[in-house]
Amino acid sequence: MALSPNQPGGPIWSTGRRGAGGRARFALRYFIQLLRTHPVYAGGYVIVAVVAIFALAAPLVAPYSPITADPSVYLLPPSFSHLFGTDVTGMDVLSRVIFAPRIDLAIALVGTGLSAAIGTFLGALVGYHQDARGVPRFLSGFVMRSADVLQAFPVFVFAIALVAVFGQSIASVVFAIAFVNIPIYLRLMRSQVMNIRRMRYVEAAYVSGMPDSYIIRRHVVPNAIAPVLAQLSVNIGWSILLTAGLSFVGAGVRAPTPEWGSMIATGFPNIMTGQWWPSLFPGLALAVTVYGFGIIGASIEFMADPRRRRTLANAGGPIRDPGE
Amino acid sequence: MGTLRYIGGRLLFLVPQIFGIVLVGFLLVKAVPGDPATLMLGPMATPDSIAKLRGELGLDKPLPVQFIIYINRIAHGDFGTSWQTTQPVVEDLAVRFPATLELVSFGLLVALAIGIPLGIVSATRRHRVLARIGDFYGLVAGALPDFWLALILIYVFYSLLGWMSSPIGRIDVMLLPPRTITGFYTIDSLVEGNWPAFRSSLAHLVLPVLTLGLVNAGPILKTTQSAMERMLQADFSLYARLCGLPEKLVMRHALRNALPSIVTIVSVLYGFLIGGAVLVEIVFSWGGAGQYAVQGVLNADFNPVLGFVIFSALFSLIVYLVVDLVYLAIDPRIRQ
Amino acid sequence: MTGSEAMTRDERGIAASPAAAAPLIEVEDLEVAYHVYGSAPNRALRGISFQIMPGQILGLVGESGVGKSTLARAIMGVLPSPGRIERGQVRFMGSDLVAFDEAELAKERGRNLAMIVANPRGELNPLLPIGRQIAEVARAHLAVGREEAARLAIDMLKAVSIPDPERRMRAFPHELSGGMAQRVVIAIALVCSPKFVISDDATSGLDVTVQAQILNLLRRLAREKHMAMLYITRDIGVAANFCDRIAIIYRGQIVEEAPTDAFFGGPEHPYSNLLLAAFVHDPRLRARWGAALARVTPAAGEAACLFADHCVNRQERCVSERPALEESTPGRLVRCHFPVHR
Repeated sequence: MALSPNQPGGPIWSTGRRGAGGRARFALRYFIQLLRTHPVYAGGYVIVAVVAIFALAAPLVAPYSPITADPSVYLLPPSFSHLFGTDVTGMDVLSRVIFAPRIDLAIALVGTGLSAAIGTFLGALVGYHQDARGVPRFLSGFVMRSADVLQAFPVFVFAIALVAVFGQSIASVVFAIAFVNIPIYLRLMRSQVMNIRRMRYVEAAYVSGMPDSYIIRRHVVPNAIAPVLAQLSVNIGWSILLTAGLSFVGAGVRAPTPEWGSMIATGFPNIMTGQWWPSLFPGLALAVTVYGFGIIGASIEFMADPRRRRTLANAGGPIRDPGE
Repeated sequence: MGTLRYIGGRLLFLVPQIFGIVLVGFLLVKAVPGDPATLMLGPMATPDSIAKLRGELGLDKPLPVQFIIYINRIAHGDFGTSWQTTQPVVEDLAVRFPATLELVSFGLLVALAIGIPLGIVSATRRHRVLARIGDFYGLVAGALPDFWLALILIYVFYSLLGWMSSPIGRIDVMLLPPRTITGFYTIDSLVEGNWPAFRSSLAHLVLPVLTLGLVNAGPILKTTQSAMERMLQADFSLYARLCGLPEKLVMRHALRNALPSIVTIVSVLYGFLIGGAVLVEIVFSWGGAGQYAVQGVLNADFNPVLGFVIFSALFSLIVYLVVDLVYLAIDPRIRQ
Repeated sequence: MTGSEAMTRDERGIAASPAAAAPLIEVEDLEVAYHVYGSAPNRALRGISFQIMPGQILGLVGESGVGKSTLARAIMGVLPSPGRIERGQVRFMGSDLVAFDEAELAKERGRNLAMIVANPRGELNPLLPIGRQIAEVARAHLAVGREEAARLAIDMLKAVSIPDPERRMRAFPHELSGGMAQRVVIAIALVCSPKFVISDDATSGLDVTVQAQILNLLRRLAREKHMAMLYITRDIGVAANFCDRIAIIYRGQIVEEAPTDAFFGGPEHPYSNLLLAAFVHDPRLRARWGAALARVTPAAGEAACLFADHCVNRQERCVSERPALEESTPGRLVRCHFPVHR
């Protein structure tokens, strides 16, 4: 069933003869072309890569220990020995900024990963059985109404309450983030699956007796995956912001663990008195990181849109679309 | 007549939704550790007095009974008392909710003023430079932590340049707030003719509104841009050009057709920001509703939390209802 | 092909205005290609030439994908972006439209040059009442105020035989039936009394009775307003009844052009014969038009004549030498080395 991706209403990626390996290579060539013609997207990947390196290799990169307080050098403005200055307890801001992704990134990745896994699974089930009768339909309705109720809750208050319920720890922050994000993936996957189900090629597979699992695996998932990936990337960025916000309020990661939000909070009183660096740099790092993830999400969206993808092929060398 | 029935149907649907929210909220706050009686009486309280207070508060009854009691109370408009402020929650919210609304409403207005024009320019790509700025802004704004931006703005405009007055609260500490009519300090002082209060409340609004406006312009810009792009490439736009309609007219029509998407994002933001502006409220000591609820959670003061959750959910649902009516007005196809 | 609705042959001949001997629109050697993927461009139109006199209706008949819509859009200047006009001229009212820039073309579109689109309900703006959509086109091109434009819109609705036009002005596209929406699109195309109208497969989706009404309407308006019209269709039967001249298009080239009667009396290109044979059911007519749909082995490599691979009469010369569109009998053009004569 090799339909051209350019066919209106057809699949985004041809589920055709080439198989998964061919599709991956083909997608890779488009991706490289995207990075060459739109350097902004490359910038996003570079940012996230750098942040990841910081998270993994922080002890090697950071000049000082992030939690050693030296009161004698407190609140020093940026200088050669302390590029980002020191905060009120004398800890080096740069080192803490470099160590912070360990916490922030880990929490965001695990939290959104969990919510994406649960949300897409539930959403696919609900979307696939949308038109069924009896028990599945009732359950679908119940799941959707529950999602409505959860989404009507003020997100921040809900997250804080969850952290309060499970005691303040990193695990509870992860759990809170996972929980508040589930409805997003649930709705997204459900609407994707419902759209794909209505497509003729899925009907054809269904009518020709393919089992549900095959249909889901071969047709539904590959075409639903792109928007989910784009959402995932943006969501990770937003979850980092949420983590920082929780820590800022005091309901997230506790001092002295380096975390961008709590760093901004401790630097808050100093802003009024003119010491801007303890709060500025963590926030800047936070903004740049979230920006990087946002760019990645935008690049995935670009790749998933057949019309915009075509503009890449026009600009560069010949890339043959296997579906044509 | 059909519209009235539609509204009636939606209002009816509100009831089970509110019920669900109250239920989940109730379970949530009950799950938060911390005994209100202990917290209210303080560390010197005796076990006897704590037990007595618990009995009075009904905390020793089984959960379903507590829930029914609570439902009964709020049905009569009694949302309990906050042990932190010792005021009834309804009175606390009567001041704080409008405070948040004022902040969020002005903030969204600023966000619209920035986001829609930039979004249109980015979509039509008339001015290359502005269009690229628009693209960049759309991505950056969503990345900025609002509490951090608030601090930076305070630093620049208050500490460094000295242009702004003290970034604390809604009005200068030496002035009395105007008499409450709507709860919006700006409107109330205007109605009263109270110029000092008006100027002061406006001045105190500048920085927080700017913060919210700059950050939330991002999603509005992105939505406007993507909706305009879609509409400009839609069949009716191509047909309009085929008929020789001037480009300005084609764009106006595209914008009109893009309105539903923009209205959607504004409604989502509005509902979100009631609770989502809490960090900005905290930075500026605004005394808003979100701040109130957060303090409630952190201090096991449950009545404010539940009261806030219910009111903000009600507000969101009403906003969605109004938005659906707006859709009806814009798109004739829905009226069938 | 109902005889009662058709104009008589004489009337058709008289319809071309004797005063205007010059063609209203003249397309010469138009080549259009779509550039996709950096690989070989798709040559959609390979040297199209024709001319249409004022008051005359030229039918352009061909199968799907041969370039009919491309031609319409190329003339109007609204080719989708991978498409480009490679060479050729479109002479209209003394100017070459190919040389115009977007601003100049926009002035002509709707005013002197109009197109009636297919799928009208998909093309009209769903949020605006149809009266307003007609009036806007009038206001854009004619120096009229709002009330005058509304009056023109009502007049057009009357002209296209839409009942109760004052009330219909406020209707929305989704409230109209297919036939009515098609009339609205005709009204929009004609409101500024353009000199040249292209109908791009505009009646193919309609019921037969509605189609007949609309074609009569178009023909009457064309005669009254002295418009030149290019009627693009896949249905050769409709073209026979409606058009003054017929042009057959195959793979981006015009392979035959002739007055309608002469054409149906005896088509000269092998492809035209096949086309007609495919349309009729009567075995005698089929035999007459050479329904020898025999299997033809394709020549090795691309033959010079684009139809050679499917042509029963293929000879050596067809493979090596590209035929040009030449006059075979007076007033008729054929692109074939060995046209069919009876």
